[in-house]
Amino acid sequence: MSTGSAALAPAAPGRAVTGSAIRQVRRGGLIVVLLTAGLPALVAATYAGVMADPAAAGGLRALAGNPAIRTLFGEPIGLDNAGGFTVWRVGTALAVLLGVWSILATTRITRGAEDARRWDLLLAGQLTLRGTVARHLAAVMLVPVVAGGAVTAVLLLAGTRTAGALTYGAGIGVLGLFFVAVGGLTAQVFPARASATGTAVAVLAAGLLTRMIGDGLADLAWLRWTSPFGLLALSAPYHRNWILPVLVLLAATIVVAGAALVLAGRRDLRGGLFAERSGRRPRLRLLSGVEAFAVRRMVRPLTGWALGIGAYYLLIGLTAVSITEFLTGNPRLADEAARAGFSLGAVEGFTATLFAILALPVGGFTAMRLGAFVAAETDGRLTLLSAQPISRPRLLGAELLATTAGAVLLVSVAGLTTWLGVAISGGDLALLAALRGAWNVLPVVLLTLAAAALAVGWAPRTTGVAGSLPATGGFLLLVLADSVGAPGWVRGLSPFAHLAPVPLTGVNWPATAVTTGLAIGSTVLALLGYGRRDIRV
Amino acid sequence: MGDSALRADHLTKRYGRLTALDDLTLEVTAGEVFGFLGPNGAGKSTTIRLLLGLARPTAGRAWVFGIDAADVARAHRLLAHVPADVALWPHLTGAEILHLQARTGSGVDLAYRDELVQRFELDPSKPAGTYSTGNRQKVALIAAFATRAPLLVLDEPTSGLDPLMEREFRTAVATARARGQAVFLSSHQLAEVEAVCDRVAILRAGRLVQVASLPELRDLHRSEVTLTYTGSPPALAEVSGVGAVESAGEGHVRFTLTGSPAPVLQALAAADITALVVREPSLEEIFLDYYGAADVR
Repeated sequence: MSTGSAALAPAAPGRAVTGSAIRQVRRGGLIVVLLTAGLPALVAATYAGVMADPAAAGGLRALAGNPAIRTLFGEPIGLDNAGGFTVWRVGTALAVLLGVWSILATTRITRGAEDARRWDLLLAGQLTLRGTVARHLAAVMLVPVVAGGAVTAVLLLAGTRTAGALTYGAGIGVLGLFFVAVGGLTAQVFPARASATGTAVAVLAAGLLTRMIGDGLADLAWLRWTSPFGLLALSAPYHRNWILPVLVLLAATIVVAGAALVLAGRRDLRGGLFAERSGRRPRLRLLSGVEAFAVRRMVRPLTGWALGIGAYYLLIGLTAVSITEFLTGNPRLADEAARAGFSLGAVEGFTATLFAILALPVGGFTAMRLGAFVAAETDGRLTLLSAQPISRPRLLGAELLATTAGAVLLVSVAGLTTWLGVAISGGDLALLAALRGAWNVLPVVLLTLAAAALAVGWAPRTTGVAGSLPATGGFLLLVLADSVGAPGWVRGLSPFAHLAPVPLTGVNWPATAVTTGLAIGSTVLALLGYGRRDIRV
Repeated sequence: MGDSALRADHLTKRYGRLTALDDLTLEVTAGEVFGFLGPNGAGKSTTIRLLLGLARPTAGRAWVFGIDAADVARAHRLLAHVPADVALWPHLTGAEILHLQARTGSGVDLAYRDELVQRFELDPSKPAGTYSTGNRQKVALIAAFATRAPLLVLDEPTSGLDPLMEREFRTAVATARARGQAVFLSSHQLAEVEAVCDRVAILRAGRLVQVASLPELRDLHRSEVTLTYTGSPPALAEVSGVGAVESAGEGHVRFTLTGSPAPVLQALAAADITALVVREPSLEEIFLDYYGAADVR
């Protein structure tokens, strides 16, 4: 640059790219940091209340011996102090949350931006593909680092032990980094965002299942060394405070991130390791109309969700008998579990408790489908269909119908696999009872779908947030309300507060009718709004 | 004049304080090829979005063969559309997208579609994710031209095509016209409009500045006249239609002429003219005349 013109842009394109990458993740990142730091703070604050009763404390400790409890909630260790209790109560959930967010954010701002051809112009400048990928991964990695630091700070402020707070903060932070690296690697391997995200989430789910098996079966305890969640459990915050597993996970992160960068340096822009096949015979199934086409676009993601949900509920079914037998033998423990939020008295009660949280993943599925619908509108894929003789309400209605069918299928898969698991382990649970328990959450799922649809119709930018309000938001509200003893009406705002524990009891029909009615009303409003607003391009 | 294929009546679209389209009134007759010219950002795509009911007008209305444009389920039976920036489902192949468009549309001439695939040299077996801009445009063009819809609304359809494919495009427009289809062609490519259109509308900064047939458009515009004379220069200053008189060297004078040449011919009768050269303006010059000079906004 020999001309000293002041009009020239500053010669720091790399920094501009990093800045833009940070801007793309900062809002979601802030929410994730607030949740990962905020929930432990609340739980740590309630510890004194739970432990005031020595019987309760003893009961919780006794749970440690039960393999099923270990399988589902992780090894309950270090329950003798606020920090250890907190990690057991919310550790796994927060690790999953941070891991999933890390994957979604990474593939969105790397492969997603590439898919949308936003990187074509960027890379026409002085930047290399490898440098750009590195800067985007670094930007997402800031979030787990900040989250880990915030968790440690919050746990220290809550008065828990220093070594435990540091171990847990480091563990969960590195776990987030690992999944950023995994998302970064799959984004280099696969030439489309959906396959990159799907594969990375499958890695996460496999890691979680591996940890569960390793925790549950003493012979296979070594499996935990192969799973990021297992390594987090092995570090045993507030108990052993073992830093080696965290270092192993960090080393794995460096290897995976390094592999991602090596691949990024070798492939073409918008290419992958596996090139798309250059041509194929047309597959004309499910292309006969918008309804069929909505189903066709859903089949692949639905299969992934069904596999994940099916595997989880099969495991629930397999462990249900063991847990309930253990609890029947220790009535006091059943009491304690009830106080900790689980009514685990019989197989029906145990499965009912776990069916309630089924609304979270299935609600997530519906919100994601409508998010994809809005993305198709925004990037212009929907324009050709919008110019066909198809009314706007029918276009959205087709998507809602297909998604509803997908949700019913997912919920049924959960009921079926739970029944199968119980049957295999010699328990006693009627197939219809299992299905009824799973179907019981459908109104909450429909409400989630309707909330997302309402956003599609009136404020498409907010679809993701609106779609996660009824299920994820409602569930967090219930947990928070229970933890801080909020007034009844606050708790009552959550749809989960009105779910009957089916199949232990009958369906709460009035609540089901109100929730379903709300969902139908919102859907009608959504279709009206979508028919009237401008298509965004 | 036959039926109106497309009619806009005081069509206005505002986005907050920005007026993207201001009081557009125009009519496209069934069977005609209508060019819609304007520079980038003039409001061409906004107009098309309003005509297709993809966006709601702030004021005014539009009709497709007499059907309110907002009633898309009925209005779109009568039209096919190629958007300016064609985005396709990346996992579907070209053939699958053509099939989807045919099944969700209101009737396709399959034999003609196959012929168009050949003529545009599209490989329909490839997933759309691997297509270039031009190939994506071809898919949308083939889908639109293959319909029997009496109106085709094309938004800058050739911006990604090479010259050979552009020639195929012009052939396809001519075939459409021969079949009785009306074509509404938005473009900023003058040569294309000049080659295929019957009438042209010019849009500038959201306002319609002219609607005319191509010959009319030229008539409205200045021809450049160069005279060679002996003796004293002809007196031209006061003659109606004459402007920008300037000397073009010893014995030469150049001026512009608008409208009928009769007055100037009378004025020249008295002078000793040895040569007269009239140069017609190219469409490009007309175009620049309308919006090349000062920006309205």
